[in-house]
Amino acid sequence: MENMKFTEILQLNKGLVGTIQAKTYEIGILSNVTVNSIKEILEYSCRTNEIEPNIEFGNFDNIVQDSAVFKNKDIIIIFYDVLNIVDQITEFFEDLEEGKYNSFKIKLFTEIDIIFENLRNSPSVIFNSFSSAYYNHNNMQVSKIDTFIKELNTYIEEKKTNNMSIVNIDKLFTQIGFKNSIDYRFYHSSKAPYTFLFLKNYVSMIETIFLRNTGKLKKAIIFDCDNTLWKGIIGEDGIEGIDMSPNSRLGKFYHLVQKIAVFLSKRGVIVGLCSKNNEQDVLDILKNHKDMILKEEHVVIKKVNWVDKASNLRAIASELNIGIDSLIFVDDSDFEINLIKDQIPEILTIQVPKSITDYPDLILKNIYKYFNLDLNNDDAKKTEMYKQQFERENSKVSFSSINDYLASLEIELTIVKNDKAQMPRIAQLTQKTNQFNLTTYRYTETQVDHFMTDKKHEVYAMFVKDKFGDNGLTGVCIVKEDNNDPKNVIIDSLLMSCRIIGRNIEFVYVKNIIKDLAEKGYQTLSSKYIPTKKNAQVEDFYEKMGFNLIEIINEEKYYSLDIENFEGKTLGYIKINKNNNIK
Amino acid sequence: MEDIRIKKVLSIVFEVPIELITEDAAPDHIDNWDSLGHMNLILALEEEFDVSIPDEEVGNMVNYKLIKLIINELLK
Repeated sequence: MENMKFTEILQLNKGLVGTIQAKTYEIGILSNVTVNSIKEILEYSCRTNEIEPNIEFGNFDNIVQDSAVFKNKDIIIIFYDVLNIVDQITEFFEDLEEGKYNSFKIKLFTEIDIIFENLRNSPSVIFNSFSSAYYNHNNMQVSKIDTFIKELNTYIEEKKTNNMSIVNIDKLFTQIGFKNSIDYRFYHSSKAPYTFLFLKNYVSMIETIFLRNTGKLKKAIIFDCDNTLWKGIIGEDGIEGIDMSPNSRLGKFYHLVQKIAVFLSKRGVIVGLCSKNNEQDVLDILKNHKDMILKEEHVVIKKVNWVDKASNLRAIASELNIGIDSLIFVDDSDFEINLIKDQIPEILTIQVPKSITDYPDLILKNIYKYFNLDLNNDDAKKTEMYKQQFERENSKVSFSSINDYLASLEIELTIVKNDKAQMPRIAQLTQKTNQFNLTTYRYTETQVDHFMTDKKHEVYAMFVKDKFGDNGLTGVCIVKEDNNDPKNVIIDSLLMSCRIIGRNIEFVYVKNIIKDLAEKGYQTLSSKYIPTKKNAQVEDFYEKMGFNLIEIINEEKYYSLDIENFEGKTLGYIKINKNNNIK
Repeated sequence: MEDIRIKKVLSIVFEVPIELITEDAAPDHIDNWDSLGHMNLILALEEEFDVSIPDEEVGNMVNYKLIKLIINELLK
């Protein structure tokens, strides 16, 4: 998108109007400079990601007051540009006397406090760092304006809340060049300082936040081998002839890409291989090649064979139990890249660039956009868990009945309630879970925090382990007391990670939550199923659970359950951990 | 050649069918041609023709004929 003309974006965006089948994503933009040209660029970016945006601008230079008005938007983007802040001062900034400097600073701190306080419970906020790039005439001394901007940036870093992402504007200026970012002609005539190029790159940079908030991040990256993980082709150059040495001119770029792949595998991203080769050759290289950093332990899934890559990638998604659109595929060949683009357009493809020096950068740019690499303890363990999943799948075969098999797993559940330590993981699960998700409501940490604190809400989380390993927190259920009937309670969200599907855990999990709700004195339970492209597997979950279907409105199914008469399935092979039962 | 490209930019930026962009096209008969629209128009013309329009000309490009004149001048 960064390389498209504004008019192209306008046209393509117009073509996408009305094609996105999704709940409207409400976007508020607050600014003290004119940024209206961002509207169509942001709309286009959203629509290419299957998000249907509704953008509303606040009044010009009215951020403080409008932050209270916009706080319930799904996302609020704030452009509080230092250009128009400094213009409030009548003196030349460097000539400001200390008293005035300080009172001006306090005024801004107070404004920031009010804005942040107003938006404290908003789902998601984007705030830009203040830039001193506008004032780069004196780079040999620390000027007053430099100090001022530094103090502002330190202040926002200190005060920022969990729901807030701070965009480092200076890095963006550096990336595209300051002169290409700011156009003073329109700043002076219309208070609009940003160029199209800046706005396009800005939107592209914040895209990751939109993907995260709407559950559209990727889960796996699948690499081809020849000329993708190393220079050369096994079949032509031989195992001795391939090159990924940190000390060779071309090999070092492949070396760096391997280092990135290892890093990803430790951050919960699934790393896989899909290559047309003899499997034994590739295994041999993974095990024995001295320059190979990416080892078998980092690779969760391998399809090394002579089958076409579209079939292999489909098989990978299905074996990992993740959506096909959760894959990124990296390959050097025009043929393979075009095949996947044509056959499975949902897969994001990255082609190894002809200019190999650009290869690691291209990979890095994409992984930071499409993966949430926030360091969350649970993620680091995931690679190990996916491997255990395969051991489980493999041992499935040898049991005559599925119940014998499930019993052999020695499954244990632990359910906790309103446990604030689990907030980040719970929010992450609501954002990422697509398949076993009855309503697919996405929540940020701030919202989860609110539910945990609020007396009318309960947030249940479930931990699952079995003899093969610990799956960690893999189930979430959020319930809410009915405002019109205090004896009725409503299931707002019910979801489970795909890692634990297929073991009947859901029945025991929900039964125990219902038990807890009964103890709290609720008599009836309402629930609903909202269909999406991905959650068909749970369309009759509530029927199986014993709920009564009340009505279907716009394909959404509404249910009710009489808690007192609820029995539920008894599954002896799933143990509820009594020591840590619902607190 | 430039004529069509200029008309196309005007048509896309102001969301008006290209056949309505006549020689007389001006802010008076095009709703979206306000000050913000004018800014988008200038920036879009710069992208389209890879030129930089000087500050003093920005305010002069207030109808199709003048735009054509100035763009052709810049392309020389």
